[in-house]
Amino acid sequence: MDLQLAPLGSAGAFLAFGLALYGAIAGMIGAHRRDARLQTSARLSAVAGFIVASAAVVVMQVALLTDDFSVSYVANTSRIASPTWVKVVTMWAALEGSILLWAWLLSGYTALLAVTAPLTPLRPWALSIMQWVQVFFFGVVAFIANPFDLVAFPPLDGPGPNELLQNHWMMAVHPVLMYLGFVGLTVPFSYAMAALITRRPGTEWMTQTRRWTLTGWGFLSAAIIAGGWWSYEVLGWGGYWAWDPVENVSLMPWLTATALIHSVQVQERRRMLKPWNLILVITTFSLSILGTFLTRSGVVSSVHAFGAGPVGPAFLVFFLIVTLFSFGLLAVRWDDVRDRADLDSLVSREGSFLGVNILFVALTFAVLLGTLFPLLVEAVSGDKVTIGAPFFDQVTLPLWMLVLLLMGIGPLLPWRRAEQQSLRRNLLWLGAGFVVAGGLAVLFGVRKVYPALTVALAGYNLVSLGLLLSGALMPRLRLARRPALQVLRSYAHESRRRVGSMITHLGVVVIAVGVAFSSGYRVDQQIRIDFGESVVFEGYTLTAVDRYVERTPQRISAGAVIEVTDRNGRLVRTMRPRLNQFGDRRAVPTPAVMYTPTHDLYLNLNSTVTPTTSFVVLRVVKSPLVTWIWIGGFILALGTAYSLSGSGRTVPARASARSELAGEEGASA
Amino acid sequence: MKNKKALYAVLGVAVLGVAGFLISQALSSSLVYFILPSEYARDAQSFEDRRVRLGGLVQAGSVQYDEERLHLTFQVTDGIAGYPVQYGGAPPDLFVENGGVVIEGKFQDGVFVGDNLLVKHSEDYHPPEDGQPIDIEELKESLR
Repeated sequence: MDLQLAPLGSAGAFLAFGLALYGAIAGMIGAHRRDARLQTSARLSAVAGFIVASAAVVVMQVALLTDDFSVSYVANTSRIASPTWVKVVTMWAALEGSILLWAWLLSGYTALLAVTAPLTPLRPWALSIMQWVQVFFFGVVAFIANPFDLVAFPPLDGPGPNELLQNHWMMAVHPVLMYLGFVGLTVPFSYAMAALITRRPGTEWMTQTRRWTLTGWGFLSAAIIAGGWWSYEVLGWGGYWAWDPVENVSLMPWLTATALIHSVQVQERRRMLKPWNLILVITTFSLSILGTFLTRSGVVSSVHAFGAGPVGPAFLVFFLIVTLFSFGLLAVRWDDVRDRADLDSLVSREGSFLGVNILFVALTFAVLLGTLFPLLVEAVSGDKVTIGAPFFDQVTLPLWMLVLLLMGIGPLLPWRRAEQQSLRRNLLWLGAGFVVAGGLAVLFGVRKVYPALTVALAGYNLVSLGLLLSGALMPRLRLARRPALQVLRSYAHESRRRVGSMITHLGVVVIAVGVAFSSGYRVDQQIRIDFGESVVFEGYTLTAVDRYVERTPQRISAGAVIEVTDRNGRLVRTMRPRLNQFGDRRAVPTPAVMYTPTHDLYLNLNSTVTPTTSFVVLRVVKSPLVTWIWIGGFILALGTAYSLSGSGRTVPARASARSELAGEEGASA
Repeated sequence: MKNKKALYAVLGVAVLGVAGFLISQALSSSLVYFILPSEYARDAQSFEDRRVRLGGLVQAGSVQYDEERLHLTFQVTDGIAGYPVQYGGAPPDLFVENGGVVIEGKFQDGVFVGDNLLVKHSEDYHPPEDGQPIDIEELKESLR
């Protein structure tokens, strides 16, 4: 062997660790002494660190693609027969590789920040904090879970990645999105710490990181929805969210980040909630580390638990350091960050933002409690308990409803104090939307409380979006005397942040309706069909036509061919639920899903199919409006991207409205 | 100013109180205990009409599966006590005699009616040699 990949990769990991450590310390000293040369040196080390980390990632990819089993990670998780895309994504299909990916993305963000972030008093400190976080991650890669360990006697082949992970292409997307989200939210955390260190706890840290925060939030949202879709397509129970600990720990930082992107606006406009925003940004970052600890250490059982090992304790220690350091710093600087302003009225934009913040924090607390309570019970009494989905549904559903309620009224309220007359008019419209939509739902036979309530709130929110849009367009139309469509286009072009938030909220409404109906009206049955026979299920006739076996180098699939016909006897779809077996791994049932706009039909094989079996046992699930969740997720991502596409600067509300109108007049003249 | 602060404090406490009440209600009603048959035998009353996760080994020779009606019955045991289990569905892939299982459901007149059946093929647990007693702690740890 001429070139040994294992020592090369290890060298990359050690070098990246060294560069991060140097950058962190040099950046700190440079920031403290205001030494421009040291600061530049730290920035360069961030760029160099990214180059070195990229080289390590390339080494890992080469090792995976060339089946170099002398690299421990490849030996433990890869397999010669896997197709190329599986080999590429195998890098994050197990613990060591996924931390390498995280560290690499983090170094990429740091380098990007080092190159593009404008020079402000906060930047040197923020970069140093980012580098300290990198020190931890590359430290784990280099010293605790090195994927590049040299295997003295390489095996001829490996076991391949976890069967559940290689069974769906979403595996290529979901983890990357998740890490992009977590890493993105490291940026506002670093700037917030920099703000505390330099005693500049004003709005600088949030305005300078606004786009990073929103980007991180957008990736995290997309990751959670993609994860739900993965579990729907792979796990075979016909659901997408099971309140599994790993789902919960990804939801918690999302909840606090959602609170954050709303409450920073209060500080930007009204100079309020200063300490609150700092607490939120710290909590968000801490929760993402805590979540990694919980799921990666085997403390809670979950699909993502990669087994116990030294990585869990390392994350626990890092979580404790982060929490103690950041909250300690906040405590030391408390006198600087205390609010001076006060709320004028609860019925105002900031009042509604405050309300939605309380709701999101309550949701976070409920999810945290439900996730950790079994651990507490076991620690206290020794009893082994689990908390099922009913707890989470019972506690969070009322809160979600309140979130939808505030989402409709909040954007319609002006800052400071709502005027009685316009408030009454808006409430009347909103109430009408609520009653009409809810009434229609009941009329069409929706009798369950939460689905009906969700439809009512969806109608109310659509009216709210309509009022927002007409409120913005009417004065412009009157002034501009141009076709409505042109005015709409120029408004959408100028107020990207506002229009983006409207699109995002629309996505949330669509998701809410999808979730309410798919969980409220799902029909789930086990049925047995003899080959050649038919069974009627929810208006469909399922005929077991044949069994089939399919072999590829990667896997063996054995399944049934099920023809689905509708009430009129027309063939709508031929579905092939199957069991996939990858190498020596456990065979995994792989559902077949028929997507339609109104409902999904979901077939999962519950029995093995061999050439001699005469029947097949299927789990058949019909759930309405599941597709709406994925479409809503797409709309939400689109809205976030649209928000981000505008210029980063923030303009005071009144001034911007005036200048927009002035610009419009100028254009039409 | 003072009044407003007091109002917020009262509101805050009220919200927290309601939330705390809801949460404690939900917690007590959705806590699912994981028990072995012998633990149920010792204290059957406290698990009356409660959802539990019952773990144990599938008693050899007790498995009956009605293919037509998709109805599975077997005896689950931990070597000390055993109970009959009814499950409306096909046995999962790795369901074998003497293998570890966890069933979620409720006891009804001494019969455990399950609606979710999981096979635990744990590498940690080694069934005892013939004649040796089952190590309860080890069994429980391996099934969780």
